[in-house]
Amino acid sequence: MSGMADTCKPVENNNCWSLPLALMNIWCYGMLILWTLSGILLFPFALGLCLLILRWPVDRLMRWYIWIYGRGWLLLMSPFVSFRREQMENIRPGEPCLFVVNHLSFFDTYCMALLPVHDIIFAVRAWPFRIFWYAQFMRLARYMNVEDSSWFETLDNCKQAFANNGTVLFFPEGSRSRDGQLQRFYSGGFKAAIAAGVPLVPLCIDGTDILLPPGRKQLRPCRIKLRVLEPIDTETFSGNDGPIKLRKLVKERMATALEEMRRDRRETND
Amino acid sequence: MTEQEVIELIDSSLAEEFELDRADMTADANIYEDLGLDSLDTVDMVIVLEGAFDFKIREEESIRAIRTLGDIHRFVMQKVEENS
Repeated sequence: MSGMADTCKPVENNNCWSLPLALMNIWCYGMLILWTLSGILLFPFALGLCLLILRWPVDRLMRWYIWIYGRGWLLLMSPFVSFRREQMENIRPGEPCLFVVNHLSFFDTYCMALLPVHDIIFAVRAWPFRIFWYAQFMRLARYMNVEDSSWFETLDNCKQAFANNGTVLFFPEGSRSRDGQLQRFYSGGFKAAIAAGVPLVPLCIDGTDILLPPGRKQLRPCRIKLRVLEPIDTETFSGNDGPIKLRKLVKERMATALEEMRRDRRETND
Repeated sequence: MTEQEVIELIDSSLAEEFELDRADMTADANIYEDLGLDSLDTVDMVIVLEGAFDFKIREEESIRAIRTLGDIHRFVMQKVEENS
């Protein structure tokens, strides 16, 4: 089974089943369920122990726990999925910043465990908060429901995170892309970075749309890459049109980086 | 600015930002059901209007009460009058 990721090619027909593919799906979904159940059951003990030893606030501990959960998922997927991190030196751990990342798949949030920082507050829509086995953890971690919050609540929450040297992550497209291309960006994250006076760090993810495209259930082997682009100083984007200028600049840089990442993927597959 | 000029500036700014069809932009068009905007677009809407009219919008409740394009027209007209 190992090495499937090294020979993966994008396949048009996602409804085709083969024995290796079936085995991959049984393993990955099975392990995901077991890993998630373990995480839920062990959580009270882990929380108590960590509160004693690390003495961090509960929400920060929760985010660290979620990051560990994500790291476990990466390991469990590794027989079928290869993960690669690029340009991680663009992240300065301990320094607050706002991440924006493109959105291709349900598993994009899991892939954020590739980052070298764990104290990330995700700013997401309302629907993940309705997944009951995740919702309580998300609330404890103080993830933001930007759909049901006012702008000022969102900004306040961001500023609190930054004051504690944490980071906030937005998906500026707001939903998963159906064709892999960047969709229109919402300006909320950009406006928050400017208002809070923190650097904005674009992240580009590639390959998760092959692993599990939107609307599909079948997992496929793939190569996933997460690239950190150069941080942008938001202090130069003042004025009423600052968020729009910043948004357009970031989208342009992300589009260029994603094209390069996809070209590399196509050349590797050939 | 006359009322018509204000409405034209609002409509053209929103059409450009959200790629809306001007033919759909009637005063009673619901911005969510008819024009396809969602709750996250309100932040962008505020940014666009602040940029077009060079004022600051802070009245959260008024913004959240907006449902139609006509509501936006009336909201901005009131802001323009307050600032003039």
